[in-house]
Amino acid sequence: MPQPEVVEPRDPGAAILLNTEGEPLPLAMEAKNVSMWYGPKRAIDNLSMDMPAKAVTAIIGPSGCGKSTFIRALNRMHELVPHARIEGSVFLHGQNLYASGVDPATVRRRVGMVFQKSNPFPTMSIGENVIVGLRLNGVSDRKFLNERLEQSLRMSALWDEVKDDLHKSGTSLSGGQQQRLCIARALAVEPEVLLMDEPCSALDPIATAKIEELIQGLKTRYTIIIVTHNMQQAGRVSDFTAFFYMGRLIEIGATTKIFTNPNEKQTEDYITGRFG
Amino acid sequence: MVISKHILGTFDEALTSLRNDLLMMAGLAERSLDRALKGLLQRDDDLCTHAIADDEEIDQLEKQIDKDGFEILLRFQPVASDLRRVISAIKLSPNIERIGDQATNIAKRARKLNRHPPLPEVQMIVPIQAYAMTMFKDSINAYVRENVELARSVCDRDEQLDDMNREANRKLTQRMMEDRDQLRGYFNLILVSRALERVGDHATNISEDAVYAAAAEDIRHQSLTTSV
Repeated sequence: MPQPEVVEPRDPGAAILLNTEGEPLPLAMEAKNVSMWYGPKRAIDNLSMDMPAKAVTAIIGPSGCGKSTFIRALNRMHELVPHARIEGSVFLHGQNLYASGVDPATVRRRVGMVFQKSNPFPTMSIGENVIVGLRLNGVSDRKFLNERLEQSLRMSALWDEVKDDLHKSGTSLSGGQQQRLCIARALAVEPEVLLMDEPCSALDPIATAKIEELIQGLKTRYTIIIVTHNMQQAGRVSDFTAFFYMGRLIEIGATTKIFTNPNEKQTEDYITGRFG
Repeated sequence: MVISKHILGTFDEALTSLRNDLLMMAGLAERSLDRALKGLLQRDDDLCTHAIADDEEIDQLEKQIDKDGFEILLRFQPVASDLRRVISAIKLSPNIERIGDQATNIAKRARKLNRHPPLPEVQMIVPIQAYAMTMFKDSINAYVRENVELARSVCDRDEQLDDMNREANRKLTQRMMEDRDQLRGYFNLILVSRALERVGDHATNISEDAVYAAAAEDIRHQSLTTSV
């Protein structure tokens, strides 16, 4: 079995992220020395990164750099992949999500996820799709469920479009609506963090714009971490941008800084299209 | 400054074309300024006419640079150093255009002066012209070579040019009082000196943009910021 390569310790994620007043930002999540493997293949290499609370952090990088793998580690979703393993720690508001006794299902409720391709449950109605997470968590109070249903659909800017069709199948919606339905489903369980893995890559520009508007609205209440291949999108929606390359965090900083004057040449080469 | 190749050849071509237009514009402005001043010093109206004619092409290039710059922004959405290069080119070209306007102003003043007997005081313009021209050339070099130190040195020189202009003004005003027959001539020389001082201001602006393009640092109005 190939041995993991020995690397110099590097910790660009330890750079303290500051607000506009120059004060350190409160953090929602912290990854500390995270390494991940799929079988023998190392996908993430001793990566540490801070993720500020109630802000949007975008992760960019070329295909295979470990972006999606990394965000799956943030809610232990990678554990569903055979032969995936992890070392290091991930903290959510100071609690190590990998400490013994932490229930992965609870982690995934607190750290929700929206995927590249919208995936409403095909046998469920629009309304059922939204509240399925609450039902699985044992909530049965109809009034509460209805309130949360409306609240989640309103937050995902879908309520006005579907309020008269809640009984219809989730798959009857357009691609963009389905993605917002998935966001509503993630929001219904009131997560603290929302992970988004290329949520607009299958959407047209109008549907993309709606999701981006939605992200801007949601960040006042949630911490959002978004993986995107679209650098213009990262520039539009995020407060902070992290650049990954070959399983490592090369640089993280304020999005404006990263897209006007990044510190690292690798970041500059990637974002300007002079990579490799 | 060597810029590594972009994955899109068309982007490199567009950026090179923008840069070439800017260099051509700067070359024309420099030639126009040179012709205007030679027209003044050598009392040659033809050179003045050429200097004035150059301005049309400079104006057209300014429009071309705006058009190409916006097209690059639209088509390629450049970021980081590429974005700074394009934005700087768009910001820089009006300064070159105004240097062209100053050359025209000087040429027009020179033609007026050439209608009258020569004034020995015209020699006062020579060091001002040399100083302003060097500032302009250095500012363009600083932009093209992304040379931050050279750009900063241009900004530092502006005060000296202001002093030279003030000194020329003082002497020429004195001469106006002493020799009222040549009042208009001295007045035109004052305006020539002022035009060269404005060339220095535009060179300073260009240098500030050059620093931004190369180092993403905004050095404009620093004395105002620090004094607040």
